[in-house]
Amino acid sequence: MKLHRASRSVGVVALLALLIIMLSSCGSNSAQSSNEPIVIGVSGPLTGTNAQYGEQWKKGFDLALDEINSKGINGRKLEYIFEDTQADPKQAVVVANKFVANEKIIVELGDFASPASMAASPIYQRAGLVQFGFTNSHPDFTKGGDYMWSNSLTQDDSAPLHADYVHALGLKKIGVFRLNTDWGKTTYDLFAQRAQELGIEISAVEAYLPEEKDFRSAITNIKNSNPDGIVFISYYGDGALLAQQIRAQDIHLPIVANGSNYSPKFIELGGDAVEGVYLSSNFAPTDPRPEVQEYLKKFREKYNEESDYFAAHAYDTMILIAAAIEKGGATREGVKKGLETVKDVPSVVYGKVTFNTETRRVQEPVDVRLVIHNGNFEVWDGSLPASSASN
Amino acid sequence: MSLLEVKNLTRSFGGLTAVNDVSFSLEEGELISVIGPNGAGKTTLFNLITRFDQVDSGQIIFNGEDITNLGPELLVGRGMARTFQHGRVFGNLSVLDNVLVGAHSRLSAVRPRIPFPLLGALGETLLALLRPKRVQEEEEALRAEAFEILALFNDRLIPRADQPTYSLSYANRRRTEIARALASRPKLLLLDEPTAGMNPTETAEMLELIRLLKNQGITILLIEHKLSLVMQLSDRVIVMDEGHVIAHGLPEDVRHDPRVIEAYLGHSSQTSRPESELEEDLQVRV
Amino acid sequence: MNIFFDQTINGLVIGNIYALMAVGLALIFGTANLINFAHGSVYMAGAYVGWTCVTYFGFPLFLTFLVVMLFCALLGMLIERVGLRPLQNSARIAPLLATIGISFILDQLAQIIFSPQPLALPPLISTKRFSLGATSIGVLDILIASVSLISGALLYVFLRYTRMGWAIRATAQDRDAAQQMGVDVNRVNQVTFAIASALGGLSGMLVAMYFNVLTPTMGFQAGLKGFAAGLIGGLGNVPGAIIGSLLLGLIESYGVALLGSSYRNLFAFVILLVVLVLKPNGIFSKGRQLPPEPMTGTFIASSKPVQIPRSVLIGVSVLAFLLPIISNNYWLSVFTTALLYGILALSLTLVAGTAGLMSIGHAGLLAIGGYTSALLSLRLGLPFALALLLAACVTAILGMLLVMPAFRLRGHYVSIATIGIGEIVSLTILNWESLTGGPVGLMNIPPPSLFGFEFYSNRSLYWLSLVLLLGLALLQWQLVRSHIGRTLRAIREDEVAAQAYGINLNRYKGIAFAASGFIAGIAGVILTHSYTYINNETFNNTISVLALTMVILGGRGNIIGSILGAGLLIVIPELLRDVLGESFIVYRMLLYGLLLVLFVRWRPQGLLGTV
Ligand SMILES: Nc1ncnc2c1ncn2[C@@H]1O[C@H](COP(=O)(O)OP(=O)(O)O)[C@@H](O)[C@H]1O
Ligand SMILES: [Mg+2]
Repeated sequence: MKLHRASRSVGVVALLALLIIMLSSCGSNSAQSSNEPIVIGVSGPLTGTNAQYGEQWKKGFDLALDEINSKGINGRKLEYIFEDTQADPKQAVVVANKFVANEKIIVELGDFASPASMAASPIYQRAGLVQFGFTNSHPDFTKGGDYMWSNSLTQDDSAPLHADYVHALGLKKIGVFRLNTDWGKTTYDLFAQRAQELGIEISAVEAYLPEEKDFRSAITNIKNSNPDGIVFISYYGDGALLAQQIRAQDIHLPIVANGSNYSPKFIELGGDAVEGVYLSSNFAPTDPRPEVQEYLKKFREKYNEESDYFAAHAYDTMILIAAAIEKGGATREGVKKGLETVKDVPSVVYGKVTFNTETRRVQEPVDVRLVIHNGNFEVWDGSLPASSASN
Repeated sequence: MSLLEVKNLTRSFGGLTAVNDVSFSLEEGELISVIGPNGAGKTTLFNLITRFDQVDSGQIIFNGEDITNLGPELLVGRGMARTFQHGRVFGNLSVLDNVLVGAHSRLSAVRPRIPFPLLGALGETLLALLRPKRVQEEEEALRAEAFEILALFNDRLIPRADQPTYSLSYANRRRTEIARALASRPKLLLLDEPTAGMNPTETAEMLELIRLLKNQGITILLIEHKLSLVMQLSDRVIVMDEGHVIAHGLPEDVRHDPRVIEAYLGHSSQTSRPESELEEDLQVRV
Repeated sequence: MNIFFDQTINGLVIGNIYALMAVGLALIFGTANLINFAHGSVYMAGAYVGWTCVTYFGFPLFLTFLVVMLFCALLGMLIERVGLRPLQNSARIAPLLATIGISFILDQLAQIIFSPQPLALPPLISTKRFSLGATSIGVLDILIASVSLISGALLYVFLRYTRMGWAIRATAQDRDAAQQMGVDVNRVNQVTFAIASALGGLSGMLVAMYFNVLTPTMGFQAGLKGFAAGLIGGLGNVPGAIIGSLLLGLIESYGVALLGSSYRNLFAFVILLVVLVLKPNGIFSKGRQLPPEPMTGTFIASSKPVQIPRSVLIGVSVLAFLLPIISNNYWLSVFTTALLYGILALSLTLVAGTAGLMSIGHAGLLAIGGYTSALLSLRLGLPFALALLLAACVTAILGMLLVMPAFRLRGHYVSIATIGIGEIVSLTILNWESLTGGPVGLMNIPPPSLFGFEFYSNRSLYWLSLVLLLGLALLQWQLVRSHIGRTLRAIREDEVAAQAYGINLNRYKGIAFAASGFIAGIAGVILTHSYTYINNETFNNTISVLALTMVILGGRGNIIGSILGAGLLIVIPELLRDVLGESFIVYRMLLYGLLLVLFVRWRPQGLLGTV
């Protein structure tokens, strides 16, 4: 009896699933009318370990859309469909197929992590749908095809600028903490190359795993290499932990962190320990450029909190995509053409954005040298750290 | 030559010496019973002989070969099979499959004798997948033989051949275990309390079965508490207490040995009681 | 010398933190004989409750600790009530699945209530630090050490000298015997869960204070470390768990000193395996010992597997072949994923179901297969078919060799050893940069192709996956019904009895893992070549847990069940996507967890039953 019931229920489930497939295969075929909204697909994490970044993206996107839709793009509104992939390759691939099948979607943003993005790339490339991997700093991401574009930074340009800041601070011998992911490794390699050119010695490198929380032993290793400064190539969560544990070990060497540590959370989580930390950032709250001030003001108004790097970057990306659509037209091909031809789009992170059509990446990001003072990010005034002078 | 020779076997657990300097030998075709109160070390002795437990000292010789340091899985191929005191059937396997597992060591067509373990395992897997005629025939023959073995238990097991053994009664599980042991075609069979938990009818049936096996020429080492069964079947009896062999001889002699009576009644011996009462007592107490 | 001293202090401090987690896990493992996947989530919940007490209500520290422990004790009792008690008399594995579901629910609830952003705790106690050599310890370090030692000591006294403690120990030793002696096993489990969860919650709070950060997903990794630590000391042994944790902390610390941070976990897991090989029941286990003979009547009557008529199977297969004609690309890719994960589940059900070796490291096999064929294609330019075959063979051999040390382990020790092996594979890939590209990975992997035909389109990839799945399922069916299947099931039921009948355990476990590796390797190859990119994170340990979930859901050892389980667990989250719509998408994993818990209540032996 029981077995019977079980197998019957299984059958019902299977039938239901089949029905839905058939239904969905007939959908999404309506023709585009001229005042229907323009749709963007976003593939990223809203649940799982990386959900925090997806949430920041949404804040940046929504803010940008408020702005864009107040004018509209040729009379049409811009919207996005955010599909949760948990930054998991198998879901990113499925979502890619979903977006590609939906003819309303003319460009895709994401995914968050390279393994997920790059697994989906072949699908976007074949379908001729631009995959704009705005956080994909993997050096080969845009080599996946001519529909893979990115305005992600921290690559060829920003890592050397980070090294330049270290140099400007007068540090000669440094210990480095870096995240052991594709991003951390590539960034470090570029950083190290520039550091060598500048005659900076790297006394020790500790590559830590993303889920690492305890750095005591690694800090002991760095300390024993006797550096006169410490460099972070990290995200704000790890950066704050690192700073805390370094200071707890009574180590007061200057710390120079990279741009992805720029977040109010870095100060909130790091507390006193991040006081005096130097940051090679891509934008600063004190940056006098009007687009930066405008953005920060609006962000504060809408969310009652400070923007971080990920939200700012998402905001920038939406503005950029809107500009590309406006320029090239609201079609899949149009977006690609638009990206190829847009010039000097205003940007919080870059100042102005123009793409290199060969690499499909942005050149020359802005570099702002910050230091944390009294719990705030401030522009560095050029004074050298005390301990590097004494060493 | 004796089939099994046990020399000065000793095994202790911490402070407790469960088997203490035990020696005996078992001739081909003989049936020896091992009796003794609970905790005397009988099962431990079985575990040592069947190599599930490591000896502290002593030697075990089976069929002329020193097996003291062999692994337990190597004995069945040499002709030694056992059952377990509490019954260890494979609960989710059918009765038939249980018996077929017993015949595992006799599979030859599907288990090529290749000296390299990796290649051997690969060959065995391929043969199992491809199932050439020889392999099929072997499986068929073993199946037929398994049914013959099940038939030894009258109609207790045959109708249940395809049922998982966890659904069987306790007595039937014990029978399945013996059937499984027989499927390996043993020279020496070690039975650990085969009638535990059985009622008189079932016990009588088991007695007949063991007698039949003995008559077929299988050498048997039997742990048993039911003395009437022991007296009827055994050629010799070994009595153990606290790890020692305290008596060893013909059933009748052992039965009247004062040391045995003492061991069973506890060490404050009361010898004034009649013997018939003692026998009942032996059954009740152990 | 000085470095050694410093790293010793570092190791002891972090070992302390593991100890808090390991003690609770050890307790639950001992009494309920359960790997409690929800324990990490309780730990997380403790941290969030503590945060709420401190930032919203401004409670003093001591009161906060009390509230955290009380809340988590109740939560633990709830988990016992829904996840364990109703499943007591079903297959032993059912509660494990329930705890996986519960952990999904709890983690997701935290994300919804507190947002996925990391939260900070204001400093609650003195930040004064004492110098010790080149390193230093703080007041919090001392507090954590005292908490773990005191709770360990209290637990010890409780277990040894109280009536309840006696009942817990009796249950841990032999559940049935304890029950016969009048011990109320349900109550024992409830108390155990309450104590263990209170400790787990407290440790979450302390760790949050230590690192000054809370995230909703902080539990999973902490749980893994807790298991590893507990295992070194011997599961179910409270003092052992504490010492095992300290040892793990020390081992990691020395590992970092010798090789650097990225070798930390590699070092830890390799040592873990070495310990297991030398001391299969933990370093404090007594020497050679025969496991006790099972008591009679303890068989768990797993229901009969559901028999699906051959005609239905053929019909479904034909329909599956025709599916691309009606389905859109999106659903086709969902089903392709389901088919490939079906192959993975097939592979796992052979070891976890038929042979009873609960592996939680199967993602490692996907990775080995994927990397091997990617490297063969990219570096040597081998054609796909050859690369596929070679990669499957390499996975079979490596899979077998890697797990070989775990062959002599029993029960849950196998699970934890395989978690370790999975981690070792992934960390080796990360660190062996010259071969694997490390975190940067391998790209431009050519798509699957046969005789010049490239499986580019969704349809062709679907058909390829379907043919492979059906072919491998048939092969596995042939294997399972042969004497090898019978032998493996005998090993699963009773290793000792199997040995008595001449079964060489290592040989057959080896065959099972090799066959399983072969099958999983193929799934890894197809996934990798269809992604065209792979790095160390592509096949991570959540996939191992997912695969096990599929196998348990479908019914262990059940070939069709495993495929059904894979289908459901891939399709359901996608269905929820459409059912929930964008604004409710955050509830997706919550519902998924809920469905798992309900499924296991409804059919604890799996949808199609254990074979
Ligand atoms: N693995 C073991 N560890 C510790 N003591 C054991 C073990 N096996 C048996 N013993 C002890 O050895 C003694 C003999 O046990 P056993 O051989 O089972 O007795 P019998 O079968 O004669 O009733 C008993 O006191 C028992 O408690
Ligand atoms: Mg006994």
